[in-house]
Amino acid sequence: MVGHNTLQQMYKEMVTARYYEERLQEEYLEGKQPAFDISAGPIPGELHLAAGHEASGAGVCAHLRDSDTVTAPHRPHHVAISKGVDLERMTAEIFGRETGLSKGKGGHMHLYDPEVNFACSGIIAQGCPPAVGAALTAKKRNTDDVAVAFLGEGAISQGAFLESLNLAAVQELPVVFVIEDNDWAISMPKERVTDVEDGSRRAWGFDMHGERVDADDAVTVYEAAEDAIGRARDGNGPSVLEVQVHRRMGHFMGDPESYRPDEDVERAQRRDCITRMETRLREHGFEEADLEGIREGAHERVDEAIEWAKDQPEPEPEATYEDVFTNSPDDWPERPSREVTATDGGEE
Amino acid sequence: MAQAETPSASEIDRELTMSRAMVEAIAHEMREDEEVFVMGEDVADYGGIFDSTQGLLEEFGHDRIMDVPISETAFMGAGVGAAMQGMRPVCELMFADFFGVCMDQLYNNMAKTTYMSGGSVSVPMTLMTAVGGTYNDAAQHSQTLYGTFAHLPGMKVVVPSNAYDAKGLMHTAIRDNDPVVYMFHKRLMGLAWMPAPEGPKTGVPEERYEIPFGEADVKREGEDATIVTLGLHVHRALEAAEGLAEDGIDAEVIDLRTLVPLDTETVLESVRKTGRLIVVDEDYHSYGVSGELIARATEGALEDLEAVDRVTAPDTPIPYSRPLENEFQPSTDDIAAAVRSITQ
Amino acid sequence: MTTVEIDSEAFWPDDAQEVDEGVVATWFVREGASVTEGDTLCEIQIEKVSIDVPAPATGTLEAISVGENDEFRRGDSLGRLETE
Repeated sequence: MVGHNTLQQMYKEMVTARYYEERLQEEYLEGKQPAFDISAGPIPGELHLAAGHEASGAGVCAHLRDSDTVTAPHRPHHVAISKGVDLERMTAEIFGRETGLSKGKGGHMHLYDPEVNFACSGIIAQGCPPAVGAALTAKKRNTDDVAVAFLGEGAISQGAFLESLNLAAVQELPVVFVIEDNDWAISMPKERVTDVEDGSRRAWGFDMHGERVDADDAVTVYEAAEDAIGRARDGNGPSVLEVQVHRRMGHFMGDPESYRPDEDVERAQRRDCITRMETRLREHGFEEADLEGIREGAHERVDEAIEWAKDQPEPEPEATYEDVFTNSPDDWPERPSREVTATDGGEE
Repeated sequence: MAQAETPSASEIDRELTMSRAMVEAIAHEMREDEEVFVMGEDVADYGGIFDSTQGLLEEFGHDRIMDVPISETAFMGAGVGAAMQGMRPVCELMFADFFGVCMDQLYNNMAKTTYMSGGSVSVPMTLMTAVGGTYNDAAQHSQTLYGTFAHLPGMKVVVPSNAYDAKGLMHTAIRDNDPVVYMFHKRLMGLAWMPAPEGPKTGVPEERYEIPFGEADVKREGEDATIVTLGLHVHRALEAAEGLAEDGIDAEVIDLRTLVPLDTETVLESVRKTGRLIVVDEDYHSYGVSGELIARATEGALEDLEAVDRVTAPDTPIPYSRPLENEFQPSTDDIAAAVRSITQ
Repeated sequence: MTTVEIDSEAFWPDDAQEVDEGVVATWFVREGASVTEGDTLCEIQIEKVSIDVPAPATGTLEAISVGENDEFRRGDSLGRLETE
């Protein structure tokens, strides 16, 4: 059963993520209207928004602690927020600032926050093997940490995903693969890229537990994830969890979505996981004022993070040559080695 | 160089963007040969993320303009297999950066099959892929990787810099019986959402014409220094040459157009004339196109060489933030400065 | 000789009725060149959607009024054709 505080926390994360992306969208479009020039404005490059995916990040990450690892794909903001990634530094990263998580080198598809064991890959399904590696580490070090790889339903046809399932299964590793099924791999609807309607059935071929959450509902996700993450943490091996989400936006900002039927866009708009979550909260006795308070707090936090980020300095051009070894060995930097943080398993 | 009867770009009133020129060539080949088909992610209903297949679905349908699952190893390998059967697939890798997820099919199968079979099996496949940065898409979506593909034997490597060449090279690529890697720079495609510089949009004849592989194009003749480059940087080099001309420095600009085969002779001829070679490359500095060109110049024209330099991306992954990517990218000013430094 | 204006209003997409600005992305015909009715003259961008503008008549492209990457208001003339 999901408790009062958890419900509140999940809702807070969801509305934070939604509002965060609304604000990012505004910032992104600044300087891109009427001509949409991808390299113009305060946030250049691609921007993949996750509006409509929030229930998945919140429901899964509710079971995770800082020492658990999460890898996210090119659409990472909601997962990052639910995993507790530093919002200010993440925002500064997206604005390409010096104080960003990666000093402006990564951008929105490549967010790393080792404090909470969060990492991304912008290449489809390529976050799966590193999640397996984090799970392998937990097993070797005999901690009860787990790893979760988030991916889209388009990624489940990728070798890196399928190979990761097999390796995780045969090594009995504490990892959960969370498929966010938003029905669209850019322009390709799910039925045109796989004959298996339920992506979690991919797990069955590896004799692994697989389960699909059909409802875009954070509480149902929470319950299914409790089971999957519990199984991993208790040493009972990996699982696949597929969650139905909705793509409320284009694949990326600027996607004209001319391939997508209007009805599908309307359906995704109607089935809003945040509205659904508000119904859940009311059922649990939350008053409108409570919800309003949570929303206001979230908006304030987001506005502050964005304001702070925009105020940060841009990196100096010379920073291009830092954080990498090159063929000029004179100034090869010392790399920090990662300290082993032993957890006794009881830590929360 | 086009066939004798084909008018040159400047003689044509109708201008095309690079993407439209590519599409026109693919469509033409598909009309003439049932065995040509296109396979890739988002190539049908979307028309290619960078418009490389825009409009083809309407004419040829989903059977011949095939959207495929995100399974590059499978569909690139399937392209190789179909080509081994004699078909002429045009397979699109959405970003060259994604080569990692299918590289075995490309370099162990596509590139080596002809040789490993003692020449008994051909692989007439065209792999087209988007390359390049300048729009802050960071380390995993901005690479050119010219040197990586050109390094591995068995693949022809084509890099058009303008619409006229893009069409002629595409015709040649599809008709070629060897695997061809056709690398188009996103910034040159003429996309409304990623405006191209002056230059890549050219007059393009409506008829079919081929541009032979291995023939570099001297875009600007000059006496003082030779700038050898490709892709986007052809236009930056030309712009730099215009600026240099105002200071009395007369630079020659060579567009390689294909890396494999490489037109060494045109480069050597120019170097023998100017005595100074600058290679400009958006790819990484080490072990790549710039090093190869300078090596060939020293092998073939050592006694004529007075100075060499290269203007390339540094050996770092591609940073996201605007000031960092600007630092990473070889600019027009960088090119001009390098030419000045070796001509003084 | 008749002058035909290339009217941006005529190509406005149905799903962009609330928008009233656009941008010319590319011209495919040079000033002074002859065109046949239906030839693609230019590509315009309205609300992320790219639209090909066909020649409304056969004739000569006398003038381009909105250059590449320049903005226009809905109803502005993009250029002028002279027909025989």
